[in-house]
Amino acid sequence: MNRRQFLATTTAGALTQWPRRASAQAKTGTVRVWGEPGPYGAVAVDGMNEWAQKNAPGLKFAIETIPWSDVYPKLMTDLAAGRPAHCISVESPIAFQLMAEGLLEPVDDLVDKIGRNRLIPGIKWEYWGAWKGKQYVIPAHHQSHLLVVRTDVLKDAGVTKSPAEWNWADQLAAAKAIKAKGKVFGMSFALGRTIATDYYVISLLHSAGGRMFDAANKSEVVFDSPAAVETFEYILELFPTMPPGAVGYTFLDVVDSMAKGQAGMAFYWGRVFGRAAEVDKQVFDTMEAYQHAANPKTGKRLNWNDFQGWLIPKDNNPYIAEIKQALVHIQTSRDWQIRYAQSLVPNVSPVFQDVAQDARLTQHPFFQTKRRTIFEYYVEALKHASNSGNELLQGISPLAGIVHGRAIIAQGVQRMLIDKQPAKDAVKWTHQQLEQVRREHIRLVI
Amino acid sequence: MRRRRELSDRQLGVLFLLPFVVLSLGFVVYPALDAIRLAFHSKLPFRNSFTFVGLDNFRYLRDDPVFWAAAWQSCVWTGASIVLQTVFGVAIALLLHQAVRGINVFRGLLLFPYMVPTVVIALICRWMFNPELGIVNAVLKGSGLVRGEVYWLSDPTWAMVSTILLNVWKFTPFVVICVLARLQTIPVEIVEAAQVDGAGAWRRFLHITLPQLKAVLAVVVVFRTIWTFNKFEEIYLLTRGGPGTSTFNLAVYAFEQATANLKLGVAAATGVVMLTLLFAGSVFYLRLIRQQEAV
Repeated sequence: MNRRQFLATTTAGALTQWPRRASAQAKTGTVRVWGEPGPYGAVAVDGMNEWAQKNAPGLKFAIETIPWSDVYPKLMTDLAAGRPAHCISVESPIAFQLMAEGLLEPVDDLVDKIGRNRLIPGIKWEYWGAWKGKQYVIPAHHQSHLLVVRTDVLKDAGVTKSPAEWNWADQLAAAKAIKAKGKVFGMSFALGRTIATDYYVISLLHSAGGRMFDAANKSEVVFDSPAAVETFEYILELFPTMPPGAVGYTFLDVVDSMAKGQAGMAFYWGRVFGRAAEVDKQVFDTMEAYQHAANPKTGKRLNWNDFQGWLIPKDNNPYIAEIKQALVHIQTSRDWQIRYAQSLVPNVSPVFQDVAQDARLTQHPFFQTKRRTIFEYYVEALKHASNSGNELLQGISPLAGIVHGRAIIAQGVQRMLIDKQPAKDAVKWTHQQLEQVRREHIRLVI
Repeated sequence: MRRRRELSDRQLGVLFLLPFVVLSLGFVVYPALDAIRLAFHSKLPFRNSFTFVGLDNFRYLRDDPVFWAAAWQSCVWTGASIVLQTVFGVAIALLLHQAVRGINVFRGLLLFPYMVPTVVIALICRWMFNPELGIVNAVLKGSGLVRGEVYWLSDPTWAMVSTILLNVWKFTPFVVICVLARLQTIPVEIVEAAQVDGAGAWRRFLHITLPQLKAVLAVVVVFRTIWTFNKFEEIYLLTRGGPGTSTFNLAVYAFEQATANLKLGVAAATGVVMLTLLFAGSVFYLRLIRQQEAV
């Protein structure tokens, strides 16, 4: 290369790079990032700030956490008011609604930068949020609720069969046996009029072979089915083994009742282990997680997996380019991915193969005592993953987020438990509500 | 030397009122008028569409059983709260209207519930009413008043009782302050004369104190009714309107319609119904009091 060529290339390079760097550096302000309560959102934002310090020193990423049960109203009202956060971490059914509404920035340009083939085998990018051929959500982590049991309580109740082999009848019998001992409740379960209850009931519904919508058929409502009645009746049978306060329970109540030793079993995500370790070491030591009990007819043990991802609202968002670069930074950095996963073990399950195989991931004290449980959450849960936005992983329906926002499934179950309606009537009522949601939002599915 | 032009009393009054008028127009009148306009429209928040729908939103309310349940529960919640606040408020005010050493300490303490933010109280109450861990059940069981747990927030009836208790605890001090202020202006001579004539404490209260309190109680009841009927945060923070919809009042119903269902027009229509009911109720109540005073 002679002097003329060298000058030509460096000058061209400087000219092409200059406007982008200059504009990134010129941007100032705070990039608002929404996340669930928990340390992982803050870890991700630390990673984003690392990118900002080097590439856009005038920008500061700031985490805003929203309590789980308030995620939907907060998101919707702020979106409706035109002032959502600039970057949002949320579970997939809600993300599906937002992408179908046309509120999100496509992120196809990030998929190859992050690594199209990096995902753990068996899971797909679309599980987090793809619509009409475009990707709208970047995978953050996956997290399923599983069956959490206290082994000492089971032993005390004379339950000898391993929860790994249970079907619904075994689970019910165990809950009754625990309750009969009179020391703790058999099962802790969210049955309040909240999004939590929807997530609990849907996993049972899916295991029974039922669904809310038929995604392949313009989200026709298919809820009213023998499977839904079976699910509701099973909850009715389990109910006497639960704390009677369960009809008001949301996420936090279930965590507390399990971690504080009031219940022998619960459906919960991995964070309950961290909470138990904080508040009652004795309870923590005896806790283990298993895949859900199998439905006796279908044999399915499906859970409810959040498939939690990052999304970028597109309207009135001056930081789209910067957020994309920051997301690429944290998603391609194995250091940040490991820090993210380790911030709440075993709640935040890694999604990339290279991260899952990195030896540093196991450098967390829980791996010494809860290795089997962590494996259940990180690996086995994916074999039984489902959720309401992508039921039985057979296709995306954008209506599930709206259903959860109104806690329709929870209201249906409460009609049976509080208003003493027969299960089949409560199922019919729930079906009608789903029909109404579909009618009101038909534009999203046609 | 030119004298500065002095404002008349009237002009000065208008000048002082001006900030209030401007703020009221901006933050009360305009939003209220906009809500009334919204009650006759359908607004899709994500699509920026705003369509006139006539009385559709009101028809939706008419056909929604949850609206009627919420309306009834609003009446129960407001009625029970106001009765209890008034009874306790007057009783406590009478107790505090005694010339006892250190009474000012009690009067000061009385303001405590009024000063604590509702969100703090509601969250504390959630723990206090917790059936398994809460202090309320612990005390009741410890004292032998109940045997098993009372499910304060999980049983529809007890949940309503809990929200009413919270409201009564927090706002009774307002009644006490108003009544106490009025009690201190009742001439002592009238009471002493009745005492000399042989009237007992109950008769003195019934025929002297209560009639003197009538005007202030009318104002207190009207204001407390309006505020309680519109109350949202206590119910929402304590029970979220549950279990089921058993503690929904109209304010919680409107909130749910706006945020969970994104039916902004229906929420606004609920607000219009509440406004109408309260306006009619207040006028009726004040006229009743005026008629009684005339008699």
